[in-house]
Amino acid sequence: MAEGWPKQRQVLGSKVPRLDGAAKATGRARYTYDINRPGMLHGVMVRCPHAHARIKAIDTTATRKTPGFRALTLIGASRDVVITAIDGNKLTCTPAGKKKAPDERISIEVGEGVTLIKNLKVVTLRDIQPGDRVTIEAEQWVIGRELFYAGDEVAAIAADTEEHARDAARALRIDYEVLEHVVSEDEVLKDRKKRTVPAPSNFTEAKGATQGDVEAGFREADAVVEATYGVPVISHQCLEAHGLVAEWTAEGGLTVWASTQATVSTAQQLAARFGLPAAKVNCITHYMGGGFGSKFGPDVQGFAAAELALRAGAPVKIMLDREGEIVAAGNRPSAIGTVKIAGKKDGTITAYAVDCYGTPGYTGGATVNLNLLPYVYSDAIANWKRSHAVVYVNAGAARAMRAPGHPQNCVLTEFAIDDLAARLNIDPVIIRRKNLPPNNPKAPPNSWAARRNTIYNEQIDIALQLSRWKEKWHPPGKGNAQGPLRHGIGMALHTWGGFAAAQPNECYVIIGRDGSIIARTSTQDLGTGQRTVTAVVVAEVLGQNPASIITEIGESRFGLSSGSGGSTTCPSQAPAALRAAQAARDDLFKKVAPKVQADPKDLAIEAGKVVDRKSGRSWTWKEFCARLGMEEARGRGEWSLGIANEPGNENISSGQVGGVQVAEVTVDVETGLVRVQHLVAVQDCGLVVNRLTCESQVAGGVIMGLNYALFEECIRDRATGRQLNADMEFYKLGGLGDMPKITVHLQDMPERGVIGVGEPPVISTAAAVGNAVFNALGVRVPFLPLTPWRVLQALAQGGKVS
Amino acid sequence: MSQPKQTGRDGITRRGFLTGSGLAAATVGTLSSTAPAALDPSSAATPIAFGPAPVRLAFTVNGRPVQVQVEPRVTLLDALRNYLDVTGCKRVCDRGTCGACTVQVDGRAVYACTLLAIEARGKDIRTAENLAQGDTLDAVPAAFVRCDAQQCGFCTPGFVMALRAALDKNPRATVAELEQAVAGNICRCGTYEQMRQAIAQLVRKEG
Repeated sequence: MAEGWPKQRQVLGSKVPRLDGAAKATGRARYTYDINRPGMLHGVMVRCPHAHARIKAIDTTATRKTPGFRALTLIGASRDVVITAIDGNKLTCTPAGKKKAPDERISIEVGEGVTLIKNLKVVTLRDIQPGDRVTIEAEQWVIGRELFYAGDEVAAIAADTEEHARDAARALRIDYEVLEHVVSEDEVLKDRKKRTVPAPSNFTEAKGATQGDVEAGFREADAVVEATYGVPVISHQCLEAHGLVAEWTAEGGLTVWASTQATVSTAQQLAARFGLPAAKVNCITHYMGGGFGSKFGPDVQGFAAAELALRAGAPVKIMLDREGEIVAAGNRPSAIGTVKIAGKKDGTITAYAVDCYGTPGYTGGATVNLNLLPYVYSDAIANWKRSHAVVYVNAGAARAMRAPGHPQNCVLTEFAIDDLAARLNIDPVIIRRKNLPPNNPKAPPNSWAARRNTIYNEQIDIALQLSRWKEKWHPPGKGNAQGPLRHGIGMALHTWGGFAAAQPNECYVIIGRDGSIIARTSTQDLGTGQRTVTAVVVAEVLGQNPASIITEIGESRFGLSSGSGGSTTCPSQAPAALRAAQAARDDLFKKVAPKVQADPKDLAIEAGKVVDRKSGRSWTWKEFCARLGMEEARGRGEWSLGIANEPGNENISSGQVGGVQVAEVTVDVETGLVRVQHLVAVQDCGLVVNRLTCESQVAGGVIMGLNYALFEECIRDRATGRQLNADMEFYKLGGLGDMPKITVHLQDMPERGVIGVGEPPVISTAAAVGNAVFNALGVRVPFLPLTPWRVLQALAQGGKVS
Repeated sequence: MSQPKQTGRDGITRRGFLTGSGLAAATVGTLSSTAPAALDPSSAATPIAFGPAPVRLAFTVNGRPVQVQVEPRVTLLDALRNYLDVTGCKRVCDRGTCGACTVQVDGRAVYACTLLAIEARGKDIRTAENLAQGDTLDAVPAAFVRCDAQQCGFCTPGFVMALRAALDKNPRATVAELEQAVAGNICRCGTYEQMRQAIAQLVRKEG
């Protein structure tokens, strides 16, 4: 069996300050946004101002004459072709590649507004001949292009300064034919045949799911509650905008600095776009200012930056402005669902039916209808049913956002549970405990399936204690009032995977003869503390202080790694670092043992030294490494889901976690203001690698969840189809003063191996807060965010729950 | 990047501006309808116009005298980041609502995105980079590192500068006063819990 995590752990699980903390806190860390290259140009995106339109005409003349203008590219106006004939300035060609029909003929007259690119260089007619593969961009090819939301990309422009780039963008003349749009889900529901998006209609019924006999379940219940709940579209609001700096090298390679959650995939996508070997593209992400699921590739602006850099012969930086960031760089789908839930007095849920819809914007939808089931209780509830529809609107496309589908699902399920508890006149914790998924005795002993019922019950116990639930809970609306303030407490549960990624993740460890240690991996640190995690693991194996490990991360050329999504990075990269450090250690022993007349088998590492267990001799780390002479010791580690699933590896990394959160609130019934006073987060997290950053991540998840609960919502104007709050003034995010006391309890289970924890703690916060508000008022505020207006409206209507 | 023009002594100086000699306007050569006179009442008698052509400006950044030639519409934030390669102040909202670009201007915490570079002429600009001398960290970033009051770190220099300015103004500032000092700063990763710990340490240490 392969060597696992060290039994005696010195560094793992301790509190290690992040290695790049000082660089970040003093502004010395260089993010993509901060990259300034010699001769670099600034690029800006030109976006469609209409929610749905077709380009009628375009005139770039004025733009090209603005001071400092250097290059322009029109989105959707270029084609890769093979030249078949040249007649004067008229080209005939066929589409290159396999995607288009081979008998398609393209004719174009080369003149103003037509750009020819061959072998990654802008060329003239004289430079091409029949048989050449050429990329042609023609202004006329954007005529008729349909644009599907206010913010859809039309062009990218580079100039010598950012001011000049904006001037050039303003000078671009585009005539649009404005088409019918729809930006709110309810308008689509009124007319399901409506078509303002690429799909055949704006309304698409998704696959339903059912288990047991729902109608029978409703009949045998002591109480049935039906209500509609909803969460709005929200924005990732990454503080570092999406963007990329592209620089073509003298050798015909491409170096990009990208704000991305996936250096390797970003490099691969750019290589494919420009027909380069992947090894000729290096994507650098040394520091990254937040992604939350929205940054997995170059995106339109990244490809455009590389394209502009090629045309201008200079590096180009395009970082989205805040409005572009919000309207075009992803959002989280809404979910509005009518839930009918039925239960018995002992808390058993006898039936659960949900009929819901949500919008992913104008296209996509992969993350809209995930798991909209009775959430963590699905395996315990005998009868449930789900129907779901995807509602397309003229807005930017949704992207994965921190726990795709889960916060929405959690709200719908957990709100319904508390409403049912109120109808049954019982503490909702009784329902939660009664309907927890059972342990599966046949599953591997440390797996989630084998222990989930036990884990949840333990977590509920801990959460009840930390929140003093038993003395604080009261039937909804029956708490003590202090003037206009009502007190409430609420709970919610969540689950998430957090397994290793399916794709391979590599780490390399190099020990120099001076004793220095390099840990190298292409993975990126989004703020999760991954750089420090790698150092902690290597330091543990090699008996060093993590601060002494030289970490080189965030460059695609450093090897394979997967995108940081789904909480997969730590459970992929920590084991890869473990394997790499073990291999480097073994290589060190193998190379040095003969020189110290020892058997590698007898050598071992203790804090800061190497010992020979047989002879009792020992060397300081530096002394021992000095014996490498002209050599160095190297180790490579690899990890993936496939490796994690091999027998004997289940304690190195695994997945699926549970968590319980309790929120305590006060609600002012005169102003409608909700203040969260205390938030308890109990989180199962497997083997904790760095306790300091792990706790930070859980608290950070809770805070993002509080924002979901209280503040966040993309507001789109029905008349113009534009987002009214594509900024940070009216798109609200909480500040320090809005935050409650947060109590984080890590449920340490090292025997489960490393599990990713980025997503889980964000999931149940909003549901817990919503339930606490219900507990305070005795009235359900059914839609998030729980703004004063919504609270007062719910109070005025008496919280009609049928 | 666009090459900063850091040479020459014929640009607008603070003294030239204050005395309203008109030399500055003559130097840049172009008159526009913008009214920089409003910037300082003392110059009201002799209105000076800047731009739209680039103007040569001088101020100090982290103790270093610098000159930069930028159009009058360029914010202090963009002058620092795009023309002087001082990138510790971050651009996030670009309209004074998130605090990521907070710098000290003559000691006062200012959103660099809300100040034109020409308004900063002759002033002492401090950015987060000023808070480390070699390996020696200022107390504020040191507390942030110890308490892990940062994740992605993009907002952090802004928070750090806001706290530094508050402590410079009142070394005995209370927890409530320091929380007030960062009330205009937004963090997306959610580091406020750890930030509270950092603030508590700063109050104990510096109070």
